[in-house]
Amino acid sequence: MAYAKETYRAELLAAARQLGERCLYSAAKWAAELLVGVEPDAAPVQSAAMDTPSSSSATSAGRLLHLHRSGGSSFRHRPRPGGGISSEAGTPLGGVSYVSTPIPDDDAFDSGGDKYLLAKTYFDCREYRRAAHVLQKQVGRKAVFLRCYALYMAGEKRKEAEMIELEGSLGKSNAVNQELVALEKELSTHRRTGSIDSFGLYLYGIVLRDKGCEDLARTILVESVNSYPWNWSAWSELQSLCTSSDILNNLNLKNNWMKDFFLASAYLELKMHEEALKRYERLMGVFRCSGYIQAQIATVQYSMRDLDEAEMKFEDLLRTDPFRVDSMDIYSNLLYAKESLTALSFLAHRVFLTDKYRPESCCIIANYYSLKGQHEKSVLYFQRALKLNRKYLSAWTLMGHEYVELKNTPAAIDAYRRAVDINPRDFRAWYGLGQIYEMMGMPFYALHYFRKSSYLQPNDARLWIAMAQCYESDPLQMIEEAIKCYERAANSNDTEGIALHRLAKLHGMLGQSEEAAFYYKKDLERMEVEERQGQNFVEALLFLAKHYKSIGRFEEAEHYCTRLLDYTGPEKETAKNMLQGIKRSQSGFPSMDTDHFAL
Amino acid sequence: MSLFAGVSGGAADAASGVGTGRALLELTPHKMAVCQLVQVFAPPAQAGGDVVPPFPFESLAHHNRLGLFLFTLTRSCEDFLEPPLEEFLRQLKAVDNLANGWFCEQLTSSLSALNSPDDLFNFFDKLRGVLTAPEGASAEDVFLDPNSQLGVFLRCCILAFNSMTFEGVCHLLADLVMYCNSTDASYDLAEDEDFNSEMGNLMDADIGSQVGIFDKFHQGYASERHMGESSSALTRAPTSTYYFDDANIFKADDNPTCLRSRWQLEAYLNQQADILEKDPGSVPLNSFNATMTQLQTLAPELHRVQFLQYLNALCHDDYVASLDNLHRYFDYSAGMQGLFGRSVSQVQDIVVGKYESALLCLGNLHCYFGHPKKALEAFAEAVRVSQMNNDDSCLAYVLGAISNLLSKIGISNTVGIISSPYSLGTNIGLGTPLSIQQQLLVLLKRSLKRADALKLASLLSFDHLSLAKFDLKHVQRPLVSFGPNASTKLRTCPADVIKNLRLGSLVLTDFGADVLSTSNDNGSFSTSWLRNLSAASDSWRRSSKNTKKLHINDFDDFHYHAQPSPVPAPILQLAGSAYLLRATAWEHYGSAPMVRMNALVYATCFADAASSSELSLAYVKLIQQLAVFKGYSAAFCALKLAEKKFPSSTSLHIQLLGMQILHERALHRGHLKVAQQICDEFGVLSSSVSGVDIELKTEFSVRRARTLLAAKQFSQAAAVASSLFSTCYKYNMQVENASILLLLAEIHKKSDNAVLALPCALASQSFCKSFNLDLLEASATLTLAELWLALGSSHAKKALSLVYQSLPMILGHGGLELRARAHIILAKCHLSDPKFSVLEDPEAVLDPLNQATEDLQALEYHEMAAEAYYLKAMAYNHLGKLDEREEAAARFKDHVTALENPQNEEDSLAY
Repeated sequence: MAYAKETYRAELLAAARQLGERCLYSAAKWAAELLVGVEPDAAPVQSAAMDTPSSSSATSAGRLLHLHRSGGSSFRHRPRPGGGISSEAGTPLGGVSYVSTPIPDDDAFDSGGDKYLLAKTYFDCREYRRAAHVLQKQVGRKAVFLRCYALYMAGEKRKEAEMIELEGSLGKSNAVNQELVALEKELSTHRRTGSIDSFGLYLYGIVLRDKGCEDLARTILVESVNSYPWNWSAWSELQSLCTSSDILNNLNLKNNWMKDFFLASAYLELKMHEEALKRYERLMGVFRCSGYIQAQIATVQYSMRDLDEAEMKFEDLLRTDPFRVDSMDIYSNLLYAKESLTALSFLAHRVFLTDKYRPESCCIIANYYSLKGQHEKSVLYFQRALKLNRKYLSAWTLMGHEYVELKNTPAAIDAYRRAVDINPRDFRAWYGLGQIYEMMGMPFYALHYFRKSSYLQPNDARLWIAMAQCYESDPLQMIEEAIKCYERAANSNDTEGIALHRLAKLHGMLGQSEEAAFYYKKDLERMEVEERQGQNFVEALLFLAKHYKSIGRFEEAEHYCTRLLDYTGPEKETAKNMLQGIKRSQSGFPSMDTDHFAL
Repeated sequence: MSLFAGVSGGAADAASGVGTGRALLELTPHKMAVCQLVQVFAPPAQAGGDVVPPFPFESLAHHNRLGLFLFTLTRSCEDFLEPPLEEFLRQLKAVDNLANGWFCEQLTSSLSALNSPDDLFNFFDKLRGVLTAPEGASAEDVFLDPNSQLGVFLRCCILAFNSMTFEGVCHLLADLVMYCNSTDASYDLAEDEDFNSEMGNLMDADIGSQVGIFDKFHQGYASERHMGESSSALTRAPTSTYYFDDANIFKADDNPTCLRSRWQLEAYLNQQADILEKDPGSVPLNSFNATMTQLQTLAPELHRVQFLQYLNALCHDDYVASLDNLHRYFDYSAGMQGLFGRSVSQVQDIVVGKYESALLCLGNLHCYFGHPKKALEAFAEAVRVSQMNNDDSCLAYVLGAISNLLSKIGISNTVGIISSPYSLGTNIGLGTPLSIQQQLLVLLKRSLKRADALKLASLLSFDHLSLAKFDLKHVQRPLVSFGPNASTKLRTCPADVIKNLRLGSLVLTDFGADVLSTSNDNGSFSTSWLRNLSAASDSWRRSSKNTKKLHINDFDDFHYHAQPSPVPAPILQLAGSAYLLRATAWEHYGSAPMVRMNALVYATCFADAASSSELSLAYVKLIQQLAVFKGYSAAFCALKLAEKKFPSSTSLHIQLLGMQILHERALHRGHLKVAQQICDEFGVLSSSVSGVDIELKTEFSVRRARTLLAAKQFSQAAAVASSLFSTCYKYNMQVENASILLLLAEIHKKSDNAVLALPCALASQSFCKSFNLDLLEASATLTLAELWLALGSSHAKKALSLVYQSLPMILGHGGLELRARAHIILAKCHLSDPKFSVLEDPEAVLDPLNQATEDLQALEYHEMAAEAYYLKAMAYNHLGKLDEREEAAARFKDHVTALENPQNEEDSLAY
């Protein structure tokens, strides 16, 4: 049985409702966005739009809803995966079979329905403690969850306030969410007695993460997403806990289609761009109108330096969703890289009007100012972005770049270092640190940072070239190490062709003309393909001509000399002289340098 | 009368740490408790405030005791967190035991009486009264000097409160409630509505009973009253020296985690750094890191913590972690200013806060891990950057560090090591590249000049010491010599050594100009005072438990009469190393008493400031002397004691020493397998990289040659020794060559090849002469005498004169073995001299032989003992004394069998 689009729709619809019901707003938002993103089948099913999942004809027995209710919330007993009756194996995209998960039903209120309603309205008005208070003594799972969640939010709100209140002369004091201990106690009890639903597990997971028990948090979140896969917040929390591909591969996840979203996003984070792109494109087959997937694909393409494609995607996205702020910081980075000032200013204006107090908006404006060359203002906006979100990684790195422009090295180093401490895998910040120290005339010190960055991004030629330049800098003069680095760079798709030229030069300096000729030749070929000409081209020709002449391969030498004649400058004269010399020695006459007679 | 007016110097220090626009310190419940006590100590003047001492105090002594307690509270740096109330009360009780806990009651009651923000306002209002002199007060009235340590503290607290937002006040109140509740249930009254009246009753009762208490106090201390002066009365503090096993026992979970003041934090970090240097083995890597991480989460902008983490990783040989932490520390702090209003330390610390210092540290790190090339690159860059930034003092330090590195590594190929043109002129006049030694000398001189000009006393002293070290080992040759007849006399210059050593210890007197002198009061005195105080208060409960605790270092041992040392620890350390170096110098020049004396001076006078490695070195020297002069059993006894102090797993010196002595003993006993085994262990200890651990490698080769010699494998031994000779020659280690030549002579001598041995011995002798190695020269002379003897009895006269020539030196300074050897040779000379008759002068032979056998007994040196007994038996035979002859012969047999059939070889591995 095909995993029909209607099934997706039904699941997402229920999920959005259930998540919204529990005040998990961003997850509900995500589900709803995706729901709209499903392109309806050609022949619209009559009841597809608004019905409860039970009426969907495509649903399996597992999702039928003749369920008994016990206590407050009502989860069906889940059949074992592979139990056969209800775990239907649909034929999803790409031929992988998904395990479907039954949608739990809890739309109706239990006895405390009125109070729940009141609590939810309080919650909606951000009066968290009041919401929690109303739900005291309610035992239904939904009520318990909302109460705990409200407490958690109250604690977070207080924590944010305290972080500013308690900031001492030695930096932030460790304001913690005061509710964590009590929440953990309660939730773990619920988990032990089995009276916890997947939403409770999600909450338990983030409580554990905040307490620093990352391993347990991961386990709990996996439990949560396995029992209720449509909670995107749980997935993204899980993803933030997967800092390496090993951890990611060792997760014991059920093969729901939501897993694809998770994996794609995790791959993107772990810089496994191809895998991410593959998954997103497959998902695009179903959720054809999803802005989220489009934005993610554009992000991947931007990361893979496929700027034009990515720009088209972003433009598209903005056309359909003009008030979007998510992912727009990436778009602004892209526009920055392409130096399209107008588009960037347009974007900045738009997000500014939409919501100026979003870190992304500040970042976009900062990018705009940076492109304009007004680095002070740019720094100001980056600082604002960081005030809004202290862990905003790319803002730290970009602010570091701005400080570099402002020649404020200590501040730049500080900014980069903070980025690195937030995420030690951010190779850009390591690279930035290296660059600053190199600029300060400390190439040996800088090597440490370049080493770090090239370790994280071993296939990036720019990093290897930077390292090589350190090695060959005047004070260090470690030519052999530089050659090794340039070789790495040349092997990893060096688009600017610096590596080949430098390799040839360095080998020439060391007197290894055989190797030098090899690299000059390669460089020449590259320049021919790219139809670039210039000083390097002439230099390569001259060296090759001289080299072949000296080892007695006159035909090649002649070839290069003739090509040199196309250029003006002193090289032309040299080439002429060499040609004459070659002819003489070929014709058997004793070689005589015409220069002697020239005077 | 103003109290503690003289101690404001420290307060000025504290004030210099002010951040930009931030409060000087953050108010915490603990600080409020101290404020409350200050109020008790110096109550706001009231009408008739001329009562001395003020109300609750019985005597001036009692009064001052509390003052001292409060003073130390603001200075101590035992931990980075402030103690919870319970702990604080316990400390207070030690001061308070006279007044029967009145202070504690008073403190807890007044703190828990603070129930609303308004109470806090009133509290600080009242505090202000402490500082202001009442109207019409005369100079004689008691009030707190606002510039004293306590006065400044109080003012800081008031200022902090005044600049506090309402949120801050609320937090303070919440913390205070938590603080009071953390003690125990009986004080948990903050939310009790009846609290005030109840507490009031309690206080009334207390005050009512005070008369009785003070009566008791009178009786108990009447005998001491005649001491009169307050300071001597203060010495009533118990002199017992117990301290806590674990200061963290009393940390309750629900206690608010409050950091101490910035000054205290930095003092704490400095103290931890000292501990890391002094005894890295006592600091477990992970738990220390955990502590530091905790501190870092509490104070993320206190970047010194990362430096300590770097030090910790360094001490535990964790290359990657130390590198990471080093870079992180300097990334954050080198710019000296931050992004979000980070406070700036205005103390211009020499090592902290500049990029060139980062390179200096990086170089030292590579040096420590044995990467000389990388270290040199880092140093070269440091030179460049400090020249660029006009940082002369850093440049001087870098030069010092480079010379330290150069003296540590014996890199033979000098070309390309310091390739950068910045470091040195690569040629002088004659166009020849400088050797490593010459570079070192030039660097040292340059560094010395800079240090002198910049008045960096400690660096100056360091450079003098390095020069002394250099002069000790390295041969001077005339800088310019022309023509074939120019004298190319090579010699070392002891006068230079001693001159530099003297100049090096001058640091003790003129350290005033250096940065180091400013950090004189580092809070450790206050810390140990406080520690002892609380320990003493516990002593009734725990005295039995603590008696068995050994004090590891004198420094931990709080002598009550001790003042904080006026000399800062780094200065002491430098001055101490001068003594250690003196001991080494005398070791070379061959004066045993001087070695002992200097090592003893070091071990007794400078142990407080010494790092564990240097202190262990002094111990090693002393034990080596013991082994040479008193035999092995005495040495092993001492070694066991030393191992208790420095576990051999942490101290390489001690470990090496144990192996050295074991090897010697095994050789003497004839346990060759054991000797071989220990020798192999030596070989494993050194690094496989060439140019690193030269000294260890040299020692390994020497011991190997000697083991082979003892096993009578002469050709192999000779091969090892000559290859060692060429290595030492390559690395320009002339002084070592003198002893290697002697060893070579010994090998040839043992293989009955006197003709080959003679040139070696002569060469060794002349080396010794020019390098002033007196004792070694005597030993070489002795070998020469033996060789002459071996060439035939006709040379006995000559040999005898040589022996006589060396005897004064040997008898004065030589060890047991050398003395015995001299005696035996003396007897041999006499016996082989055809003109000498035993019958005429039996004492001339028997006396030295008796002496020799006695000395050799302690050494368990079978081979030589056998020789002595053999000679003795021969002599007795000539004299016709058969009984004595038989006895000597029997002993001879004993030794020979012991040598040939070694038994219980395993014993030789144990001591």
